[in-house]
Amino acid sequence: MKSAYNLLWVYNLAVIKEAKRWAKHSFITEDQRSFIDEAYKVPFYHPNIIIRLLLFVAALVAISGVTGLLTLMVLQVGQTGIAILCILYGIASLVALEKIFIVKNHYKSGVTEAILYHSCGFIIGGVAGLVDFDNAQLILLACLLVFTFAAIRYLDLITTALATASLAAIVFYNCFEAGGILKQIIPFVFIGIFTAIYFITKRLQQRMELNVWHYNLLIVETICLLLVYLSGNYLVVRELSVNLMDLSLEEGADIPFAYLFYFFTIIIPLSFLYFGVNRRDIVLLRVSLLVLAFSVFTFKYYYSLGHTEITLTVSGIILVGIAILLMRYLKVIRAGFTCENLMASKWGAMNVEALLISQTMGGNQPGNINTDTGGGGDSGGGGASTSF
Amino acid sequence: MTRNTPHELLEKGLITQDLFEKIEVITSGRVVSVFYELRTLLYLGVMLFTTGAGLLIYQNIGELGHLISIILLSITMIVCFWYVIKYGIDYSNENVTSPTPYFDYVLLAGTLLFVSIQGYLQFQYSTFDEHLGWSTLITAAFFFYLAYRYDHLGILSLAITALASFWSICVSPQKWYSNDFFSDSNLHITAIVFSIIVGGVTFFLERKEIKKHFAFTYYNFCMLIFFVGSVAGLFIDEPVYLIYAALIFVGCYFAWYQASLRKSFLFLLYAFVAGYVATTYLLAETLFEFEPSLWFLYSIASCGGFIYFIIKSKNLLKKR
Repeated sequence: MKSAYNLLWVYNLAVIKEAKRWAKHSFITEDQRSFIDEAYKVPFYHPNIIIRLLLFVAALVAISGVTGLLTLMVLQVGQTGIAILCILYGIASLVALEKIFIVKNHYKSGVTEAILYHSCGFIIGGVAGLVDFDNAQLILLACLLVFTFAAIRYLDLITTALATASLAAIVFYNCFEAGGILKQIIPFVFIGIFTAIYFITKRLQQRMELNVWHYNLLIVETICLLLVYLSGNYLVVRELSVNLMDLSLEEGADIPFAYLFYFFTIIIPLSFLYFGVNRRDIVLLRVSLLVLAFSVFTFKYYYSLGHTEITLTVSGIILVGIAILLMRYLKVIRAGFTCENLMASKWGAMNVEALLISQTMGGNQPGNINTDTGGGGDSGGGGASTSF
Repeated sequence: MTRNTPHELLEKGLITQDLFEKIEVITSGRVVSVFYELRTLLYLGVMLFTTGAGLLIYQNIGELGHLISIILLSITMIVCFWYVIKYGIDYSNENVTSPTPYFDYVLLAGTLLFVSIQGYLQFQYSTFDEHLGWSTLITAAFFFYLAYRYDHLGILSLAITALASFWSICVSPQKWYSNDFFSDSNLHITAIVFSIIVGGVTFFLERKEIKKHFAFTYYNFCMLIFFVGSVAGLFIDEPVYLIYAALIFVGCYFAWYQASLRKSFLFLLYAFVAGYVATTYLLAETLFEFEPSLWFLYSIASCGGFIYFIIKSKNLLKKR
């Protein structure tokens, strides 16, 4: 599917934003920046986040006024009629979005998002109304299709997340309804499917022509990781089993495969962490920290010793200790990691190649740096094994 | 922005070879910064620790504990001010750059501790019950001194707040601590008068070129207080609403003037919101009384107008 936006302009806008960031941290001078601005001209109207929020709210209010007026006209057509009109109205407002705002170079301006979500809501609501709100399968499918369409065509991030969530809901619903063995192995189905999607997303990220969807793919990637973790997490599996599957646990009894889920709860965050460090994958790393915290919570939830305040204090001390140790350790670049803010002026003033070589080749021999090696960059990766 | 962008920029001659090498290591992912991750970890740790420690202390505190903590806070405050006096540089009417990287933070910590100690004393021992007005005034004067002497915008905001609360305490006859605010105290008039006076002083100070960069903060406070006061007046003193409406429109003009002078979207927004409320109120009192169905059209049209206003706001600022 094609994006509604001019891809070249989207790309140019990204370059200009990046140049702005460089200029802010004095990587480049204001002159250089204005040259880049000139070379990558963009006619988009894309204001800052506060103005976008204001526009979003104002547009929503204005749209609801319009919707209210239209509703007054068509009140008498009965439920099916209204449902069909809702779908038509949703599609019509998508057309209006493209023909009125996007042709006038609005790009994620707040107004566009407001209209987009509003029409998504109407189309899905219309479909739900058609089936009288009780065919969950069809409604979820409509969600998936509409959100995917919005995400791909309008590069929207929130609908990307919603589309992924709808997919998860469809998988869950179908396994749940199928009953029998499928109902028992929902966690494993989830782990299987979303691991696969994760690797597909990773593959797609490598393709240059899909680069405008970079952030969308990033969101899908993150949600996949989270879903994989959550479907193996002991707390989630146990509580969902009790609540949804009417599993009654007696005192001291445990869910089926309990040890497997304990194992998952520990091993998934750790493997995320391991691969995140090993492959220098910041997404994996961040998710791993998040889910590690949730794992700790899971165990504390079932095996708590009481004394919340002592737990808090001790864990605080441990976290601060780890953070300070890592900060000291990563003062220099080790295995491609650094605790310095890369986009800070200090970094801009350093000779990075030289620093990379000196740090990764095992240390403090500034005299030996051969700064004119063109291929010096390779040693950045090569150093990874030695510095551990 | 793709992996190839830096290379592309280099080929077009828009960035230098040197810069390309610096940026390339980042965009290619050969070096990854965990700056924010570690910061988050650190902040989380500090937060957990302070919460835990706070709970522990709270559970085990006695009467003596309060005294000890007040003394500890005071000592910390004195150390902060000692640092400030030791490293502070001479007064100047211009913008002063802070002598050390931590200077501004230490100064702010000192002043915040000053307020905390005051609050602690008040809530634990009710020290200032009888002289609250005076203690607020002294605080305000002290903060103004600090803000001007060491050139600190954050403390200036604190000072203005303290001054404003001194005024409101003076004019409201109730005992402030019995939560009897706002009944019948004509606070909105105080607010309007206060903001006009402060605005006038600011105008004068800016003319005299004394700390010109403070003006934005001053005007920001003035406009907020002025608009809130006069909008409140619009609804409270119904019989004379025209006076308040006129005041708001004058304020709007002033805000617009300042906005275009300083290229500030914020001031423009204040003016717009206050003006919108006043206009709507006027219309509601006059036109809509006779034709209530106009409400509906008006709300849609004004929302559209608001969107248009935001999109075109750059032009409004540019015109001058």
